[in-house]
Amino acid sequence: MEVRDLHVRFGEVEAVGGVHLTAYAGRATALLGRNGAGKSTTMRVLAGVVPPTSGTVLVAGHDVLRHPMAAKRAVGYCPDVGGLVPRATPWEHLQLAARLRRLPAGWEPRARDLLERFELGDVAHRVTAGFSHGMGRRLSVVLAALHEPEVLLLDEPFDGVDPLGVEATLEVVADARSRGAAVLVSTHLRELAIEACSTVSVLRGGAQVAEMSALDMAGEEGARAYRSLLD
Amino acid sequence: MPTARSWTEGLLRDQARAVADVGTLLRFRAAHVRRPRAFRVGLLVFALATAAIAVVPAYLPGAGGPGRAQDVLLLLPTALAGLVLVAVVSAVASGGGRELLARDPASIHPISPTTDHLGALVLAPLNIAWLLQAWTLLGAASYGGGREPLPTLQVAMLLWLVVATAVGQVVAWTVEGVRRLRFGEVGVRLLTVVAVVAVLLLQLDQRLVPLLDQVPTVRVVALSVGGVTAAWWGVVGALLGLSLAAVVLGAVPAHLATRRVPHDELRVESESHRARPLPHSDLAVLLRTDRGSVWRAVPMRRGLAVLAIGPGVVALVGDLDWVQLIILPGLVASGGALLFGVNAWCLDGRGGLWRESLPVGAGTVFVARAWVLAEFLVAASLVTMALGGLRAGVPTPTETTALLAMLAVVTVQVVGAAMRWSLAHPYAVDLRSARATPAPPLMMVGYSSRLALSTTMTGLVFSGLARLEAPVLPLLLAVPFICWSGARLVRTHERWTDPVQRARVVVTAAA
Repeated sequence: MEVRDLHVRFGEVEAVGGVHLTAYAGRATALLGRNGAGKSTTMRVLAGVVPPTSGTVLVAGHDVLRHPMAAKRAVGYCPDVGGLVPRATPWEHLQLAARLRRLPAGWEPRARDLLERFELGDVAHRVTAGFSHGMGRRLSVVLAALHEPEVLLLDEPFDGVDPLGVEATLEVVADARSRGAAVLVSTHLRELAIEACSTVSVLRGGAQVAEMSALDMAGEEGARAYRSLLD
Repeated sequence: MPTARSWTEGLLRDQARAVADVGTLLRFRAAHVRRPRAFRVGLLVFALATAAIAVVPAYLPGAGGPGRAQDVLLLLPTALAGLVLVAVVSAVASGGGRELLARDPASIHPISPTTDHLGALVLAPLNIAWLLQAWTLLGAASYGGGREPLPTLQVAMLLWLVVATAVGQVVAWTVEGVRRLRFGEVGVRLLTVVAVVAVLLLQLDQRLVPLLDQVPTVRVVALSVGGVTAAWWGVVGALLGLSLAAVVLGAVPAHLATRRVPHDELRVESESHRARPLPHSDLAVLLRTDRGSVWRAVPMRRGLAVLAIGPGVVALVGDLDWVQLIILPGLVASGGALLFGVNAWCLDGRGGLWRESLPVGAGTVFVARAWVLAEFLVAASLVTMALGGLRAGVPTPTETTALLAMLAVVTVQVVGAAMRWSLAHPYAVDLRSARATPAPPLMMVGYSSRLALSTTMTGLVFSGLARLEAPVLPLLLAVPFICWSGARLVRTHERWTDPVQRARVVVTAAA
């Protein structure tokens, strides 16, 4: 996954102004930064939801602008807000993804296993409109991970999620890394980012200001370093 | 010496606060109008149009005289009663009227049910059915009464508009309160069926018109055409008193309804659906998802029931023939599009971001959404036609082809317009509540006016063709209509496939 000089503008507003980012197969990268730093917009570009205004974005070797479908096939995306169709059930979400991603027959056991790991097995056939925020986040991670994508994009996957859900999400990230996927996790929770990822990229004002090893962000020293990058 | 405030003092303070809160919320809404200049121009045009409708007909030849003007004046009391019916049905269908602020953003503010009730009253006129009735009433009063009683008659008509709207609101809150009781939904449905059957029986027994002649609105008209008299002052006083009483009284059922849980909305949000086999094509799976988003939503279910059955029952009671019935699919389709079609991409809610990341052609997604909208509109129109046609006998070949052509034309027309507006003006809307609308109230008025105008004109054309003895003619004429609307739909489809346009819509609708 390679991002070079990414710019995204919404009218007068420049949401992303010159991000460079490289995420490698078999590694997890955390995307950190304050609100409005451009993390979610960068994720949306990588997922093929928002086209870049300028710059180059390659996902699993595919240019998202020239070959959006190939890029989308390679990606599993958990958006920052909601991410669920309100009047569809989790199973219907999974069926939609399975059909459109052309998953081979026999995908159901993995889907059921994921639902069970995220403790959503009991509500697999209930419409998601009544789900709590945490349940919605957990299901979004399941949907992103279902097809074992080459690129896993998790935007705020830990937001409002209970400890068991956090554990299951960390397992999903670890599984993805072990099978050689590139993982990008956007979060405000520094400690969890360090736990899940090996590399950290910090965005500020729509641009990247630092890239370092996750270990450099650990502990009080790391917290101070991170704090200084935010101002 | 007692120092506590009396309950009346507290009540008055609460009412004053509720009124002030309505003002605050209105200013908040007005500040979010996307094009303030167009909004102000629109308001001015609306005010001028209303004034013109209320005054100009009085200066037309024959106004206020014997003949047609007198007939119009004689029908005025029935029109007044009809306005109450429209206000009641409209407010009941929308679960107590429209919201000044949607439920989720409103939940963090201390907005009282009284404020909610007053806000719904203020928004009630922003509804094409209400506006058309009101304009018809003012125009008819102007023409029927002529120049001399114009001021007194129009004052009475305006006051009646307030009375009808406020009474509609009282009934709507009461029905909503009952609906939220245990077995309340069944009770309300039974009551509706009984009311419809009663009206039908009265009509079949030829007693409906004599009954309408007895409605008290006859006195309102009779005492307002004689100029400024003591009796007219009495009418004005009574209408003012009724308005005030209804506005104040409406707060009581509003409070009672708000304290209870909306069972139908909660049931929809927690219901389970059995897993079905995986569809065999991308389009089929998209259609299934979109159909679920439409048919599992309370406002769509309730709105469709009112839209499909209401005009059908009116046609049945009015004993309309097939030539007249041909107008109805246009009106029903327009109403159906206003339930979600004019902001069709809001169906996915925040799931739109995830759906957009799935590897499927944007064109297929568009086709699925347009198709689901079309079948929703056709279903409503067919129910209306089936009901309305019960007393209309067997249609002639020309009537049949005219009806089929009309159905096809208005469906393509309305779907085309709705998909075009959905792309141009997306809004983040949660269609969970029966009170939710897919776009802000003023936009809804604009959409509904344009849809009503275009479909009514189309209806008049095909209704006229149905009188001729040429069954092929309606089908031939449908071709250019469908080609024109179809071409516009195709252009919208092309614009949707542009990733920049699509991203704007998806990100806005998921906000």
